[in-house]
Amino acid sequence: MRRRAGIGGLQTAAAARDQYRLLGENVAKIKTDLMKEQLATFRSQLEDFARKHKNDIRKNPAFRSQFHEMCAKVGVDPLASNKGFWAELLGIGDFYYELGVQIVEICLETRSHNGGLINLQELCTLLRQKRKTSREAVSEDDCLRAISKLKVLGSGFEVISVGKKKLVRSVPTELNKDHNEIIELAQGQGFVTVDEVERRLSWTSGRAIDALDILLDEGFAMIDDGHKDGKRRYWFPCVSSIASTVNTDA
Amino acid sequence: MQKLGDFKLPPFFNYPPYFTLQPVRDTREKQIQLWKELILDYCKTQKIFIIGLEEEFPLFANPVIERSLTHEARETFLSALVSEGRAEWLDKGRRKCLILWHRIQDWADIIVNFVKDNAFEDGVLTVEEIRSGIESRGTELYGLDRIILMRALKLLEHKGKLAIFKGTSTDDEGVKFSI
Repeated sequence: MRRRAGIGGLQTAAAARDQYRLLGENVAKIKTDLMKEQLATFRSQLEDFARKHKNDIRKNPAFRSQFHEMCAKVGVDPLASNKGFWAELLGIGDFYYELGVQIVEICLETRSHNGGLINLQELCTLLRQKRKTSREAVSEDDCLRAISKLKVLGSGFEVISVGKKKLVRSVPTELNKDHNEIIELAQGQGFVTVDEVERRLSWTSGRAIDALDILLDEGFAMIDDGHKDGKRRYWFPCVSSIASTVNTDA
Repeated sequence: MQKLGDFKLPPFFNYPPYFTLQPVRDTREKQIQLWKELILDYCKTQKIFIIGLEEEFPLFANPVIERSLTHEARETFLSALVSEGRAEWLDKGRRKCLILWHRIQDWADIIVNFVKDNAFEDGVLTVEEIRSGIESRGTELYGLDRIILMRALKLLEHKGKLAIFKGTSTDDEGVKFSI
């Protein structure tokens, strides 16, 4: 567009800008409305779906997990508020809060045995034992969801991955990389020796002993001097299956 | 689950580190607690009254995992029981330990109830009759260790509920109740 001189030219230019802006706003508004409409439709569809499959969601852990995934994709968190529509519809909030409370109880009960670090699998087993009267099945996925809700309490509940296993930490102690590697190594037999740590991880003996001492102090490990080879073994209740039978009624 | 006769062993009995005294305080406290419960429970169900530290005792070793308690560990666990009044050393060298799954006071109460149940309130029994007589059969008093029984009787004597006297016709001591 050729620029014309004078006030008239400037006014025309300004008017044109206004026109463009107006048009742009209209387009944006239409798009937003459309989006809102789509979302509303989607939401109502999701609600219909949830209503229709309410029982499946409540009873079938695999189905529940998929439903959660679907919700996450569209940015709906069925657990976000206990007062919300979702909680009312599914009672799902209560379910996870209940699980959360039971998880905390189990972690406290077993803490003196495992130092506050527990295998997710074991936690689930104990959780199922605890809930044997209630009809709904509980999956590891449910456990993880319940634990993620516990994080708001700031109590230091965290799920950490060590090797192939997931461990739930219920004490504020941070584990560093060295500790994680040792626990991962211990997953093989349930215990490690200083020699083994040095050899398998190519560490100096000082580094191995330091890390093991800390794990011992934190109550994550126990020593065993009773083997006939005379070498001290460091056992980790959090990775040993024997721990799963520890009496939780105590 | 592993068993000793008809006694169910707790899971920790199969976990090797529980046979080594733990150096970290919290862990050791938990360990001692578990062993205390196990010893009392086992002695109670098996009617064992005296543990010899240097003798074989089924709880002191677990052949399945090839672990056994050191002398130090045995003494630590029993000492913990002693400090709670649930056991007493019988000698200064701490080689023999009397296990009180009922405290002496509780044994005394059991005797009082036994006497009332059998209407011996002002009768006479010998010490042997209390622990092996027909009336005591099927009660906890049957087969009770003599040392414990005498302690409980002395306690009751002290409270004026009975008098212990030396019999004339038998070697055994007699007990005159006045409950």
